[in-house]
Amino acid sequence: MTPPGRLRAVAGPADRPDPPEKPVPAKPVGFLHLGSLQRRLLLAALALVTAALLVAGLAIGLVLHRFVRAQLDSRLDSQLVALAASLQRGPGERLRLDRALDGPPFDRPRSGWYWQVRQGQDTLRSESLEGRDLRLPGPARPPRERDPDRPEPGDGTGPWDESLILRIRVLPPEGGGPPAHLVASAPAQALNGPLREAGLALAAILGILGLCLVAGTVAQVRLGLRPLERLRRDVAEVRAGRRHRIPAKQPAEIRPLVGEVNALLDQNAANLERARTHVANLAHGLKTPLATLTLALSDRTRDPDGGLADLVGAMDRQVRHHLRRARAAALGGGTRTRTELAGPLADLRTTFGRLYAEKRLAIDLDLPAGLAVACDPQDVDEMLGNLIDNACQWSRGRVRVTAAATEAGVAVTVADDGPGLDAEAAARAVRPGGRLDESVPGHGFGLSITRELAELYGGGLHLARSDLGGLGVRLLLPA
Amino acid sequence: MKLLLVEDDAPLAAEIAKALRAENFALDHAANGEDAQHLGETETYDAVVLDLGLPKRDGLSVLQAWRAAGRTMPVLILTARDGWSDKVAGFKAGADDFLVKPFRVEELVIRLRALVRRATAHGASRVTCGPLSYESGLGTFERDGLPLKLTGLEWRVLSCLILHKDGVMPRGQLIERVYDGDADVDSNSVEVIITRLRRKIAPARIEGVRGHGYRLLPGDPA
Repeated sequence: MTPPGRLRAVAGPADRPDPPEKPVPAKPVGFLHLGSLQRRLLLAALALVTAALLVAGLAIGLVLHRFVRAQLDSRLDSQLVALAASLQRGPGERLRLDRALDGPPFDRPRSGWYWQVRQGQDTLRSESLEGRDLRLPGPARPPRERDPDRPEPGDGTGPWDESLILRIRVLPPEGGGPPAHLVASAPAQALNGPLREAGLALAAILGILGLCLVAGTVAQVRLGLRPLERLRRDVAEVRAGRRHRIPAKQPAEIRPLVGEVNALLDQNAANLERARTHVANLAHGLKTPLATLTLALSDRTRDPDGGLADLVGAMDRQVRHHLRRARAAALGGGTRTRTELAGPLADLRTTFGRLYAEKRLAIDLDLPAGLAVACDPQDVDEMLGNLIDNACQWSRGRVRVTAAATEAGVAVTVADDGPGLDAEAAARAVRPGGRLDESVPGHGFGLSITRELAELYGGGLHLARSDLGGLGVRLLLPA
Repeated sequence: MKLLLVEDDAPLAAEIAKALRAENFALDHAANGEDAQHLGETETYDAVVLDLGLPKRDGLSVLQAWRAAGRTMPVLILTARDGWSDKVAGFKAGADDFLVKPFRVEELVIRLRALVRRATAHGASRVTCGPLSYESGLGTFERDGLPLKLTGLEWRVLSCLILHKDGVMPRGQLIERVYDGDADVDSNSVEVIITRLRRKIAPARIEGVRGHGYRLLPGDPA
């Protein structure tokens, strides 16, 4: 049934274009992801918070230590003052106190709360010492000249090897006797116990503070980096063709970056436009001389056997083929835009109504309002134009274009009531480099170029028998 | 039938002009957009062959200017730009047909004759008037089914009259459509051609309408 040369396709080598890059799925910005900004910011914050808390803890501990020690010292000092005041040490007299000074806690044996007075061989001591001596650290230093009444601090060990805090005061000789050494002590435990308790409480408080600070930092970093995630989505939308540019309303830190990206997008668009203009200029430059040659050779005296005209025809087919390839490559690489189908299809119906005015074809359009594809408008014109042109060439009177959304995107079907195409011829028609009709010049190549363009967009082209009786071409495009 | 050829490439324009004149068309030539726009707005043409890439003014804007000025002559765009977007843009600007370079002269001629015929409201490719018939696909005349031999000027006059057979063709318009723009027109020469034609097409006849023009009639006056 199918006449030879039912359809025409591309002559030339099968130089298919590279498939388009698949979009890279967004990587989640994980906390432990190496090289992530979040990780850097959080680690830095963690180090700073830890250092600050350590310094604060040490400082507060030091202050507490001095405070508790000062309390103990003042208590011991009052004991020393009381001892000095009640000490009776007249010449020739035995050393004695004129009243008892063993009030609590100096009355508890081995408690660490001790006092002792020594002058020459005479020694007075608190009951808690149970008659033992309190060893003083090293030789007793001479009284300080600046303030002889002020006791000196010291650390020592008690008779039962307990650690002690000491206050030592030396009374100058009186009445020709030796100086009197007054010592009062408190157990080191009286200092360390409260310090340990306070330290535990302090550590707990500082720990909680640290946790709060780290949690706050995490929240802050997340919040601060959120514009980056939004930016990623914007760029993805540009790539998907739902936006032309990235919105300029951004945080001040990102705005220069967005400006650069937008400038890059604009430059890309300009380059694309330039490439298209270039291709168009090249087409014009090559085709005008070819047209002249064709006309000149139609004079049979110049080309008696038609061989030269055949050569010109071959040149023309090569030029067309490669110009279309260049165009397709320039188009497919760019960003994608959303193109509504209704407008281009209505324009194409007008166009084909005039181009095929002699055939008086009825071209029916059937598509839902607002149906759109994610393709460049010029590519949409190219693909649909090729298909409808092919249908018009072979139609006996009716061409029908239907479009509908499918789960994979949008399917456009161009059906005619022409002679149709058997399976083998259909396979040849869409093969790159395959061409069914060598005899008819003019816009050929339609089906295979359309298939290549559709595949650049991740779509496809399928041939079948239409319900009008002829060929039905089904074009799948991304929505 | 008279055409305006707008083409800036001189060798191509010369070839097209030669081919079209061989097919009996009268022809004016413009090599840039400004001249083309001026000629299209001031002269009468049966059709225009318009290149798009023109110096001084782009072909599409020339076409839009003509349409905006109410010029309705059929326009065939002849261009190297063969994308469907280009064609759609051409038709939206008001073109009636589109031919991509390179092309065969036969196709150009057939399309031009069809354009002129459709522009004069004749749907079918064959236009008849009594014993006379004009086959626009081939550009040939027959009388009583036999081919009619005509000179180029006779063909121009007769095709003009048969396509406008429902009205009177003003004399001035007829002269405009028969001679090239740069031809030295002798006002009597149209009379001479008409006289020769009357002999060839009888019993169909060409009626002179005094002070106005000519009309083609199917047969003997009643």
